[in-house]
Amino acid sequence: MNKKLPALLLISVFVVATCGLIYELIAGTLASYLLGDSVTQFSTIIGVYLFSMGIGSWVSKYFEKNILSWFIQIEILVGLVGGFSATILFLVFESIASFRIVLYGFVSLTGILVGLEIPLLMRILKDRYEFKDLVSRVFTFDYIGALLASLIFPLLLIPHLGLVKTAYLFGMLNVAVALIVCISFKKQIKAVNYLQTASIISILLLTIGFVYADKITSFSESQTYSDTIIYTKSTPYQRIILTKKNKILRLFLNGNLQFSSDDEYRYHEALVHPGLQALPFAKNVLVMGGGDGLAVREILKYPNVSSVTLVDLDKGMTSLFQSNKILTRLNKNSLLSPRVKVINADAFSWIKGQHRKFDFIVIDFPDPSNYAVGKLYTNSFYRLVKDLLTPKGLMVIQSTSPYVAPKSFWTVNKTLESVGLKTIPYHNYVPSFGEWGYIMATRPENPYKKPLQYLPGLKFISKESFELMLYFPKDMSKVETDINKLNNQILVKYFEDEWANIL
Amino acid sequence: MSGQTFYKDQVNSFLKRRAFLLRLGLVTGGIFLNGCYQKAKKNAYNISGNLIGPNAKAGHILRDKTKLPQPGAVKKVKTLIVGGGISGLSAGRWLKQNGETDFEIIDLENYVGGNSHFGQNEVTAHPLGAHYITVANNDDTLLLDFLHEINVITHYENKLPFYNEYFLTFDPEERLLINGEWQEGLVPDFGVPPADKKQIKAFFAEVEKLKNTKGSDGKFLFQIPVKESSTDESIRKLDQISFDQYLKAKGFNSKYLLWYLNYACKDDYGQKATKISAWAGLHYFASRRGTSANAEQNAIITWPQGNGWLVQQMQQKLKNHIKTSQMCCELEIKSNGKVHALIYDVQAHNTQCIVADHVILATPQFVNNRLLKDIERPIDYQQFSYSPWLVANITLDQLPSAKGTNLCWDNVVYNTPSVGYVNATQQQLQLAEDRKVFTYYLPLCDHEPAISRLAAYSRSYEQWLAIVMPELELMHPGISNSIENIDFWIWGHGMIAPTKNFIWSKNLQQARKSMADKIFFAHTDLSGISIFEEAFHQGINAAKQVLNAKS
Repeated sequence: MNKKLPALLLISVFVVATCGLIYELIAGTLASYLLGDSVTQFSTIIGVYLFSMGIGSWVSKYFEKNILSWFIQIEILVGLVGGFSATILFLVFESIASFRIVLYGFVSLTGILVGLEIPLLMRILKDRYEFKDLVSRVFTFDYIGALLASLIFPLLLIPHLGLVKTAYLFGMLNVAVALIVCISFKKQIKAVNYLQTASIISILLLTIGFVYADKITSFSESQTYSDTIIYTKSTPYQRIILTKKNKILRLFLNGNLQFSSDDEYRYHEALVHPGLQALPFAKNVLVMGGGDGLAVREILKYPNVSSVTLVDLDKGMTSLFQSNKILTRLNKNSLLSPRVKVINADAFSWIKGQHRKFDFIVIDFPDPSNYAVGKLYTNSFYRLVKDLLTPKGLMVIQSTSPYVAPKSFWTVNKTLESVGLKTIPYHNYVPSFGEWGYIMATRPENPYKKPLQYLPGLKFISKESFELMLYFPKDMSKVETDINKLNNQILVKYFEDEWANIL
Repeated sequence: MSGQTFYKDQVNSFLKRRAFLLRLGLVTGGIFLNGCYQKAKKNAYNISGNLIGPNAKAGHILRDKTKLPQPGAVKKVKTLIVGGGISGLSAGRWLKQNGETDFEIIDLENYVGGNSHFGQNEVTAHPLGAHYITVANNDDTLLLDFLHEINVITHYENKLPFYNEYFLTFDPEERLLINGEWQEGLVPDFGVPPADKKQIKAFFAEVEKLKNTKGSDGKFLFQIPVKESSTDESIRKLDQISFDQYLKAKGFNSKYLLWYLNYACKDDYGQKATKISAWAGLHYFASRRGTSANAEQNAIITWPQGNGWLVQQMQQKLKNHIKTSQMCCELEIKSNGKVHALIYDVQAHNTQCIVADHVILATPQFVNNRLLKDIERPIDYQQFSYSPWLVANITLDQLPSAKGTNLCWDNVVYNTPSVGYVNATQQQLQLAEDRKVFTYYLPLCDHEPAISRLAAYSRSYEQWLAIVMPELELMHPGISNSIENIDFWIWGHGMIAPTKNFIWSKNLQQARKSMADKIFFAHTDLSGISIFEEAFHQGINAAKQVLNAKS
């Protein structure tokens, strides 16, 4: 054995120590990502990890022969376990009930293996140094490795590589140590070829993991949605995700559920029919938002409607609902109808330049969860919408949940009233949303008349069910609020407060 | 607080951090080395942009008495208005509204608007100077009429003006970064001890009282325009002490309150509370009583291009009267009573003589000092002190997220040299785009104005970056990576500073007087307070004098 070898082993100590701490940090970070409460997660993970290292150290005395070979095997094992740890933990998070058992199992296993490393190394080196030198050198490198790991992990690894890739990278380093030791101590190891092959295969596996890490994380996104993701697309405005499970389609925009195909009819029938059924003369209809074409599908059931103008910001969204087979089946090709004109524009900018009048206007914007969307719920906006209504026309606005967010709902009502409109608030139950609210508004001189009958073939709306929808039980009844304006945006604040209690 | 130490500490710690990271990168060996090194190798921020300002070079022709070519042409005009800032435009508007059409407004810049000037890039229009007005005082009928005329007031409800809701600042309006968090509003609150809060409350109670008090002459103690304020000696003597002295005498010593009031002085007057007179310091808080049908008292009105929007409205109606790139170099009252103005065309490089019955000098007094060199004017020009400013327009995609209140229109940081930045895209109706322009305002008030001005003119683009970036990084760690462009604009004489013994001095009274009923003066430095409302009234006042004067 030449003189360089002890130095090589000391470098191994350094790498091994770095890798060991990195695995611990990965487990801690992952646990606090997925389970929250970072203080608890980190402290229990560190505790379990250190304790497992203790077990490893204790167990090390049972390794008596072929220590070098054992050391190499353990290195390979640590590399594999540590390298795949982040991926496996990510993937199992959604699918198994006792995630914590897997998590702490992994932490213990890594801890035990890492705990074995240093004692074994010290025994390998024991004849080459005096005891005091041995202890001082091994522990010096051990602790320097730990420092390096703790610094590069938050500063370089997480921002640049992310958890999954970091794990693979250090797994590779671990196995690389095994391989190098293997090659350098060729003559002293039994079954050296077997060990060499094993390390090379492991490195290859880890490299594959590293390269495909991005695919894995996007797969894990699919795991956070309980159903199978069948379509994802990032447009300049939002991330569209479509999932499917047992024939039920769900559309998510930026992670928020927009509809579920099994009960969306409750929402869209309630949005459209009470208003449009009351306007037998209606020819021109405007829909703002609602790029899924589902409201338009309901509107097209009226033969008297000759033109529907749909204004939706996101071309990615309307194109999807014009081209995707599953989706066009759902909206009955509504966005391809010759009666429908799709305009991709920002609603506020578009409406400012409009002069054409509409008999029926549907406003189906996302909930007012931020200041940008909040502008589309202001008196300034409603004043512009009012100007587009024909004298006998009617508009309807999706107005969030009067049960979860009564203040928000009644603010929309108050804001509509403030621009000189007569409002008709109503609500129904949509299983995937909960209790949901809508507000119709007319000019006061042409008040709303309840339809005496509805189109045949509707699944939810009828004369009787609409009577119920008009009634607001005590827990949703009207509250006094201010008017939502561009210069106060109170709706966004109410909405945030009210939904914060739920989400 | 000293701004200077702020920069130094920031820069030092920044350098240390960078060096540390670099070394760390070297240690990890190979993998990350490349990335770190490249980043360090490029200039500190890798941000592009321009360094510009009003045409100081042309202005210095005046100061340095450069020899000019002989006048080629002679032109007659009844009234010549020199200076196309708000005062000059307002004077022109008044003349025109009163049937007087024989007038010309000249400005040495290739634009009008003075310090309400604005810029435009591919993201949005943005201010370069003055950027807002507040709801007008209800007794200021001249201003209310103007605002109605340009549709800032759309109509009246129950005799109260109804302000155009697209111009009232969109919510959220103001936030302050203090004690590690962005709080709503600019008055320190988050993490402020109860004793300080008590003083802050007491101060506002005090100014609320002053706001609603009238003097023995029946006038409000503090009014806009300034000249309509009460003449009571008891209140005017506050002009003889600094705001700082006043606050100390009143027992206000909360560091949070004093920071806020110092910030207010810097924001409104470009100088610290030690330099500003107590009268002026209080005027800001106690002169705005405007109410309306649809906004809070003192509500702010703004546009993407700031007060540049107001300029555009005024300019549109005066199109045929405005000549730009025309510098008035000299004025002379001839024995026949005509005023001869020597005009230099800074683009064509020729001169002409304008013969006028009346001249309105809508120019600051430091300029008038040079224009009127042969005309005796019994005033001391040295009393006029102008605050220099740096305005930076920062184009960025995506703001790093921060703790607390979301991005507002006005964003200020506790205890930093600047007075923060306004978001030029605030009044956009479209769903917010990620790209934005922030207009950042830095009053250069650490030294005497003349010194700060000289230093400002001599700094390079990189030197300005080195001053501005550490503060921006403090506001939004990591913002450097989002910044695409920064344009710097320097105002050497940004605004008049209402220092001690200025607003109510004999000197200023004297300076407001016309000369031989021929030359009249209109500028906010004659009010002592540089705000749109004062300029607006200055212009009208001078125009009225012209209309009354015999030709």
